[in-house]
Amino acid sequence: MDDKLKAAVAAQLAQLRNDYLARLPAELAALQTLGSGLSGGNSDYASLDELYQRLHKLAGSGGTFGLAALSAGARTLEQRVKGWLAGSLDELDAQARQLFATELAALGETVIEADIPAIVSQASSAGAAPGRSTRVWLVEDDVLLGQELVRQLESFNYVVRLFTRIDDAERAAQTECPDMLIMDVMFEQEGENATEVFALRPNLRALGCPLLFITSTDDFQSRVRAAQLGAQGYFLKPLDIPRLVGRMTQIFEQRRAPAQRVLIVDDDRDLAEHYRLALLAAGMEADVLQQPAAIMEKIAAFRPELVLMDMHMPDFSGPDLAGVIRQHDNWSSLPIVYLSAETDLDRQIEAMDRGADDFLTKPISDAQLVAAVRIRIERARHLDEQISRDSLTGLLKHASIKESAAIEVTRARRNGKPVSLAMLDIDHFKLVNDTYGHAVGDVVISSVAMLLRQRLRQSDIVGRYGGEEFVAVLPECDAGYAHLLMEDIRRRFASLRFSHEGKDFGCTLSVGLACSAAYPDSDGAALLVAADEALYVAKRGGRNQVREASPS
Amino acid sequence: MNTLQRILYVEDEPDIQAVAKLALEMVGGFTVKVCSSGEEALREAVAFAPDMILLDVMMPGMDGPTTLKALRELPSLAGLPVAFMTAKVQPAEVAHYKTLGARDVIPKPFDPMTLASQVRSIWEA
Repeated sequence: MDDKLKAAVAAQLAQLRNDYLARLPAELAALQTLGSGLSGGNSDYASLDELYQRLHKLAGSGGTFGLAALSAGARTLEQRVKGWLAGSLDELDAQARQLFATELAALGETVIEADIPAIVSQASSAGAAPGRSTRVWLVEDDVLLGQELVRQLESFNYVVRLFTRIDDAERAAQTECPDMLIMDVMFEQEGENATEVFALRPNLRALGCPLLFITSTDDFQSRVRAAQLGAQGYFLKPLDIPRLVGRMTQIFEQRRAPAQRVLIVDDDRDLAEHYRLALLAAGMEADVLQQPAAIMEKIAAFRPELVLMDMHMPDFSGPDLAGVIRQHDNWSSLPIVYLSAETDLDRQIEAMDRGADDFLTKPISDAQLVAAVRIRIERARHLDEQISRDSLTGLLKHASIKESAAIEVTRARRNGKPVSLAMLDIDHFKLVNDTYGHAVGDVVISSVAMLLRQRLRQSDIVGRYGGEEFVAVLPECDAGYAHLLMEDIRRRFASLRFSHEGKDFGCTLSVGLACSAAYPDSDGAALLVAADEALYVAKRGGRNQVREASPS
Repeated sequence: MNTLQRILYVEDEPDIQAVAKLALEMVGGFTVKVCSSGEEALREAVAFAPDMILLDVMMPGMDGPTTLKALRELPSLAGLPVAFMTAKVQPAEVAHYKTLGARDVIPKPFDPMTLASQVRSIWEA
């Protein structure tokens, strides 16, 4: 296995591990809830059976991700539950239950102490996982400005470490790696321009995390050098914090974007397999179409974001298949790229006339293929986002989130699993706008959006429903768990401090919840109405609280 | 059937599925189909036409040994190499699994970087 492939595998493993660690706290909390719900007696059977299954999974998955202590602990508890299930449940006395609950709670501690440092070093290139705090290093020689910036960024849930000297950061970079590096350009005391000296600091260069520069002097030379260093932002002082945070969020979101999905259509099996592996090694999901006649079924199941199509195949030509795809309305904008030895320009154009977007000529290097595919999909995603996403928060707009709610409620009915909808509203938001101005109001709105994205799972869908109103769609989530989640978000938001012209203030959220399980006959729109009514109850009950809808 | 290319992998835990799939596809270059239960494996196995099957031992519903027995009753899969994957590997257990018709047992947790070569050597044995 060559080094490039090895690195790609390692990066993907690190990403999987990150995602796993992000979900782990919720799983441990669910186990504790189950454990503390045991009452002794036969009514415990269902809970114990579930505990047994989940502990078994935890033992296996923990071991797979190198969490040996967690795996061993879960295994021990799994065996104990197995013993209880085999015997009479009456033997499960209060003392045994208490001990069990304590040991369940201790499972989480094995993870925090032993494994987080290992993750920090592994996760560096994979970007930040949702649910884990994002670490930012700020290198700024102006201590006062530095401290002020730290405070502001921390109110957006970033963990910020301040260095006042480049050399201190360089030393720290030997052993640690942040998720992002923000550097001032001019260092007065050291007499250095960071864009000039950055290349001379091997540890900082090797970090490989996103880099932003901040500066009070806007000179072209420094900007060019910053661009050459791969900096993803260049911000002038006085800093516009919401813009800075907006860029930071955008960078982290791109890094944690789901893998790009590519469908390969080529009758040469070996070549198709080669493309598939090249795309896989670049972190994409790739699949090869085996039966041309099944192309629409394949597309519906795999939902590719791009089709890589051979021009000449024995039974059907590429343009034939492209034409078939284009007959289906919902796939009429799916990017199709031909890959062929065809060099005749007229024939290329003729082929593109029939529904394709681009033409790549064989032979093509793996790097060219990956780059061509990646850029196309990124553009398609970007376009899609501009259409469906709110510009301030990056969340789905009203119509899109409503549609998502409808889709998920329908899906939940089909699967027989619950979906919960949450409607969140910032308390007394008008007062914030009137007192501190709209710019500050926007910061408050963005921070709700950021909290929602950081605390919820990747499969959850979040939208900005109205001015200061948000909707979260939580698939496969029952009312109890949704309540826990929203309560956590409510609490965290209430503890955030915002500042304006030296004055600190806080805000609170009211939340209304509705779970599909309680409303078996409601569609998405009706369930949203129920959540909205629960929100109204929360407001009337004194705000800063989570309320759940119950059918009258 | 000269080379090992298609692997049917049966495991109920999604996180382990993801790691094993990565290890087998990217490191090993295999074509992998993942099934989340013994029942699903029985439905999908014949159509997928695997060269080899990897089976988790402990799954809710049909466990690994039960799945193996049912798979063996499908004519096209009767002679296919099968390996179990399990956490508890005492020598006596390995022997027991082999009497059930498994070619070998892969202990969990596995190393993602070497899983593919482990599988290949079992297949070649």
